Amino acid sequence: MAEWPKFKPVPTEDSEPYWEGCAKRELRMQKCHGCGHLRFPPSAVCPRCLSERSEWVRLSGRGRVWSWVVFWQAYYPGYAADVPYNTAIVELEEGPRLHTNITGCDNEDIFIGMPVEAHFEALDEEIVLPKFRPVEGSVKG
Amino acid sequence: MADRRGLKDRCAIAGVGLSEFGKTPNQSTIGFTLIGIQRAVEDAGLSRDDVDGLLVAMPAMMGEEHGWAARIAALLELSTGFSYTMDIGGATPVAMVQTAAMAIEAGLASVVVCAYGHSESPRGAAFAIPNLEFTMPYGEIGATSVQAHIARRHMHEYGTTSEQLGHVAVSLRHNACLNPSAQMYAKGPISIEDHQKSRWVVEPLHLFDCCVQTNGGGAVVVTSAERARDCARRPVLVSGMGQSHSAEMIEPWPEKQEHRGGVPAGRRCFEMAGLGPADMDLIQLYDGFTILVLTELENYGFCPVGEGGAFVEDGKLQVGGALPCCTAGGLLSEGHLMGMGHLVEGVRQIRGECGERQVEGAETCFVTGYGGAPHTYPVALSYSTLILTR
Repeated sequence: MAEWPKFKPVPTEDSEPYWEGCAKRELRMQKCHGCGHLRFPPSAVCPRCLSERSEWVRLSGRGRVWSWVVFWQAYYPGYAADVPYNTAIVELEEGPRLHTNITGCDNEDIFIGMPVEAHFEALDEEIVLPKFRPVEGSVKG
Repeated sequence: MADRRGLKDRCAIAGVGLSEFGKTPNQSTIGFTLIGIQRAVEDAGLSRDDVDGLLVAMPAMMGEEHGWAARIAALLELSTGFSYTMDIGGATPVAMVQTAAMAIEAGLASVVVCAYGHSESPRGAAFAIPNLEFTMPYGEIGATSVQAHIARRHMHEYGTTSEQLGHVAVSLRHNACLNPSAQMYAKGPISIEDHQKSRWVVEPLHLFDCCVQTNGGGAVVVTSAERARDCARRPVLVSGMGQSHSAEMIEPWPEKQEHRGGVPAGRRCFEMAGLGPADMDLIQLYDGFTILVLTELENYGFCPVGEGGAFVEDGKLQVGGALPCCTAGGLLSEGHLMGMGHLVEGVRQIRGECGERQVEGAETCFVTGYGGAPHTYPVALSYSTLILTR
């Protein structure tokens, strides 16, 4: 048994549909019925027009790296074995940004504007985490 | 629009106090807080019984602790009629002075102590932050990575370099070397080369881009300008104040863009005081990270946005430079007292008590606080500002 497990998302009333989508390998977010704003993180109320009405829609999973950093120390022992690891903020082509890890390339090959696409990693039987990898051909030689 | 000048010069900081501080804890969180309060009240030439208000900053990583300020008050048997725990992170010390001034002006209290204390707790960090499910599973943990992302974007958009960040670290260490109480005093000055050679923490930030860790405490006493004239020390007037809180890192909302980065907190503060950035004799910017100093210089109007890197290259942030900043060494080199050190140093500079690091003729000082919940999403950041004058 790992003494220091990694943090595992605990779905809330707000985020459950998001994580259910991930379990089906789909990236889903809420689209507001009031103003059409696509929002993330999940919320009961639209941050732009305050409408309570929304529907969950499936996104393309495509986006670009907006920012990325490399952790050279672990702030929690569960991540120590991964150091140095990257964390990134990806801007989806539909607009929202989300935190993630970039996989499938070396840290030094990541760049701002890099085209990436979502893929899904199962943490366990319940939780599947969306991560992003370079779109084929986008890693600079 | 509300007339923002109503509180200008109505209140003053009459006393300040810091505990011993440093990396090794020799007191509890409560102990540090009580020592800070005792010293600030003594410095003001007041007695415990003069204090009728108490504000205390919520210590980091304490979990849910209802009535923290009231517990601190009880340990000193203070008879307060006004008391709150405040929790906007490193923006709290400055915001406590603002809240104290409002309470005094409203007649709810006449002498309000604003206190802080911190000691690393072996009990660890069992606390709940909304939406950490979208950050922490990726290893996106701690305050450093937020600033590393901000630095990455600053470098990308404006061509800012790591060496330019290094100039902030070098200048503030220079200042700390004029302050025997500073945690890094004994370590001596650093060079840009030292900064570049220091290890990565969260790339693109090096170790010397990051503040030190500190156990310690402190407090300031706020009272009316009139009453402060009868206290033991020269009063330092609270001439301007501002605050803003914003969601950041999230996708841009064009109509709200001007609300981010503390811009309104700076504008409101200068408006109240009837002064501008160029009128400041020195500044105490909340400097958890070097990049934060650059973005504050830009967002508070000391230089154009995007030009912070070039702005600091000439060493103007050093004592003796054109814009002395964090004259005691700041969070980067004096010690991380969550901004309470910045307040105390601002007051001492205007009183003219700073010896070797005294800014000659210092009459105006801009002080900032900055805090938030870093690994939530959206990142919620709080900015607080004060102008202190003679």
